[in-house]
Amino acid sequence: MEQNTRPPRLELLQGTLDMLILQTLQWGPQHGYAISQTIRAHSSEALQVETGSLYPALHRLQKQKWVKASWGLTETNQRAKFYTLTPAGKKQLLRERDRWEQLIAAIGGVLNPNPAKG
Amino acid sequence: MKLLDGPGRAKRGKKTLPTSHGLCGNIKGRVLDWFLRRDRDDDLQEEIRSHLSMAAHDRVADGEDPQTARLAALKEFGNVTLTREATRLSWGGVWRSRVADITQDFRYAIRTLRRSPSYSFVVIAVLALGIGANIAVFSLFNALALKPIPHVDGSASLGVLVARTDSGRILPLSYPDFRDLRDQGHAFSGLAGTSMDAYSLGLGTRGERVFGEMVTGNYFSVLGVGASLGRTIQPTDDVSPGKHAVVVISDGLWKRSFASDPAIVGKTIQVNAYPFTIVGVTEPGFQGSIVSLKMDLFLPVMMQAQLRGFDLLGVRESPMLWGLGRLKPDSSIAAAAAEADLLSVQLDARQPARRVSQRATVIPMWQSPYGAQTYMLPAIMLLSVMGALLLLIVCANVSNLVLVREVSRRGEIAARVALGASRSRILRWLFVENLVLALPGAALGMLASQGIDLLLEPTSLASLAPVPVGLNVSLDWTAVVFALVLSCASSLAFGFIPALRSSRVDLAGIMKDDLSPRGGSRGRLRNMLVVSQVAVSLLLLVGAALVIRSLESARTADAGFDPRNVGSVSLDLKPSGYDAIRGRSFYQTLLDTVRAQSWVESAALTAILPLTLVDSNSVDAVIEGHNPRPGEDMRMLINTVSPEYFATLRIGLVAGRDFARTDASDALSVAIVNETMARQFWGTPDGALGKRMRLGGGDWRTVIGVARDIKYARVTEDPRPHVYRPLEQNYLPAMTLHVRSRDPEAVLLARLRSTVQALDPNLPILTARMLTELTRVALSVFSMAAGVLMVFGVIAMILTALGTYGLVSYAAKQSTHEIGIRIAIGASRAELLRRFLGRGLRLGVVGAICGLVGSVAITRLLTGLLYGVSPTDATSFAGAATMVLTTVLVASLIPAWRASRTDPIAALRHR
Repeated sequence: MEQNTRPPRLELLQGTLDMLILQTLQWGPQHGYAISQTIRAHSSEALQVETGSLYPALHRLQKQKWVKASWGLTETNQRAKFYTLTPAGKKQLLRERDRWEQLIAAIGGVLNPNPAKG
Repeated sequence: MKLLDGPGRAKRGKKTLPTSHGLCGNIKGRVLDWFLRRDRDDDLQEEIRSHLSMAAHDRVADGEDPQTARLAALKEFGNVTLTREATRLSWGGVWRSRVADITQDFRYAIRTLRRSPSYSFVVIAVLALGIGANIAVFSLFNALALKPIPHVDGSASLGVLVARTDSGRILPLSYPDFRDLRDQGHAFSGLAGTSMDAYSLGLGTRGERVFGEMVTGNYFSVLGVGASLGRTIQPTDDVSPGKHAVVVISDGLWKRSFASDPAIVGKTIQVNAYPFTIVGVTEPGFQGSIVSLKMDLFLPVMMQAQLRGFDLLGVRESPMLWGLGRLKPDSSIAAAAAEADLLSVQLDARQPARRVSQRATVIPMWQSPYGAQTYMLPAIMLLSVMGALLLLIVCANVSNLVLVREVSRRGEIAARVALGASRSRILRWLFVENLVLALPGAALGMLASQGIDLLLEPTSLASLAPVPVGLNVSLDWTAVVFALVLSCASSLAFGFIPALRSSRVDLAGIMKDDLSPRGGSRGRLRNMLVVSQVAVSLLLLVGAALVIRSLESARTADAGFDPRNVGSVSLDLKPSGYDAIRGRSFYQTLLDTVRAQSWVESAALTAILPLTLVDSNSVDAVIEGHNPRPGEDMRMLINTVSPEYFATLRIGLVAGRDFARTDASDALSVAIVNETMARQFWGTPDGALGKRMRLGGGDWRTVIGVARDIKYARVTEDPRPHVYRPLEQNYLPAMTLHVRSRDPEAVLLARLRSTVQALDPNLPILTARMLTELTRVALSVFSMAAGVLMVFGVIAMILTALGTYGLVSYAAKQSTHEIGIRIAIGASRAELLRRFLGRGLRLGVVGAICGLVGSVAITRLLTGLLYGVSPTDATSFAGAATMVLTTVLVASLIPAWRASRTDPIAALRHR
């Protein structure tokens, strides 16, 4: 598989891609390419989404009814498949964010033990 | 690549896809999903295309030129196929996508194979031969061991309750013993009693000899067989001796002799001259419990005295019937046997007068001597082994073909690997391709097996046996499953090695268009395959040769009598109303009339036909002056014959004299014994003369003659004591007339018929055939085994020829260039011919040596099936080796000759 030559990037943690996609879709319907571009841009190019993971993830989310898909036109007048967050997807996003916060807090706790809390 | 075709093609995606919303989660949705899958695939392709086009668009907007932008976008996207595959996986779960993949593999394999029809044809044909041969053997095995009783579920697991003498002989039980064992035992959930007999069936003036079973009242319920008309024999038919004159007839007899009369129930027929009321017709397909023999009558055991003329129901000494039972779920044959043994010891303890020489035991159906199983199974086992070996050759052969084909496909495989196909995926694909060939091979094989079984049946059994034979040989689901397993296993076997190699492609090598065999290893593998084929087919041929020579020596064996030019006519006087006095005089008149004819050399009557696989009756003997050792087997085979019997069958008398007219019923009781008996009890034949014995509790009989041993039932039997009684002193209504004559068969048999009819026009002639025809049944195992092995041998030879031919012509093709050079620098055609011929022959010789060594090791297992031939018979070995080597020679000669004719200019220009 071809590797790209962009700045050093971070590997996505297992399971976080779904959350990132749902988060990206919060601002409105997006197509696959735009989602990957958005994630990359918002992470200052650090997070590179492999298409080999992106599309399976999108289709998986669609199957779980967290997103809907429909064909439409982009602002540059190209046909593209747009994904929209569903109400169930929104709830899922909240759940995942919650879990993520807890995880971060827990990992933070381990990395920077706070004696006061001890 | 389609994806690069540009935006123009993107217009194709007109259908906006209904996503799986609302569809998933219900069955209808899933079914729809199946049909929508292709659309979804298109949709995904479209989505990826739009992704790429947007990415390229962005780059163009950034100032790149369109061409570079498109390539960069594609590069950035990564492996399109992998993305598609991964996405597809997320659609329908792993299982569905696997199925889809495999269907795709199948579709692809069929398409590919259609492109090389000759290859596919050869592989399918070769597999059909191998699989067919195995199914044929399997269906025989199925018939004998797995489903011995047609129309009875689980018949293979029935237990057979019998007596075993201390010398290991299996005998029926007496009725009292059977009853006690049945009532006191706990191993069976149901135990029926049965015995087989030939019966005279009177139908007005017509008569017929049929076989039937005398059964206990629970026989039909134990076997689970019903009646298609009327009822079966019931427990209520099993109450008081002589009071249940009812009979159930077989569906076959009903159709054959009663023209499927729907009003048959209630009619009366004469069985052994006693009127029986037909109460029912068995379900079609049921032919009794005797493996491979068709039974036509089922009579209550309570009518034993009326059928046989003497009452044995209360006699503990007379073997009469055996038990047939279903074991309880928590029991086993071994447990049942142990219980029967214990019970029979207790029975003996309660009957102190009884001579202990036998114990009751339970044996599995396949060991039961009542039917063809014990005598056919060893042959079937041998054939199974041979069949497996044949399949091995088949697989080796097909492996070879696959290897050759693989070379031309390396480009294709490399392309697949380059496109990201995993090794397991390639293996699966190649496996599916083999399976696509194996399945029609199996289907054709099933057809072929029917042919092979047809070939077997008439020659070996049906037309020869003195008893109507019906082996349960039919294709059923067991055979189908067997065929499927075989074809999967063989496609794994023949495809495995080549596929492993193929999947390990050397991309660089293929880029360099290197089509020559990689190193020596592939050559070695192919050589090994040919060597193994030669070896195994040699083994098969040796087996076939040994069995064929056994058949030959059994056929020409000295059975102790000369069956040639003897006509045999079987009669039964009883159904026609003869009593003993009139019967005696009829038989005397018959002998006198026949002997007076100019075309008759000699004539005699006998109760039992020799060498027809039917065991003579045996009786307990008491020898004057001989105290049997405890457990000594004192049962003697016995036959009843008229004077001139020994002369008619040309059985030599080694001492004393033949029976004569003067040995009448009021004269001294006499007997003739065979040589074995004379030597066993009196030392020498002459020593036996004048000695006395009692047979079955009768009068003292004086030995007046000693006859040479003959083969009484089968060719392979060991010598056993045998006694002859004169007909005059032991009248039996059912006898067979043997007449030695120089007349041609047809004339003789016609003359015999008319002679009998002139004496009594109403007397039915049960059979009228030549003795050689009747004794041929004794050879049926040999002829069956020889027939199958011959077919196997021929198939093996063809395959070996194909294999060798393939190898040499492949080698020649691979070295076309080399041959060109050799010819160009002056090699002679003869030299080239020798070179390629040598290659084939070398392998042939190595294979032959391996085969001979293997044969020496394996043919020892055949000993039980061989007759008059040593398992290391030099003639068979030499013959088989010559045949195999000749085949190899011819098969290598053709391609070698072709190679030597190569046009050097064309060969060199080719590259």
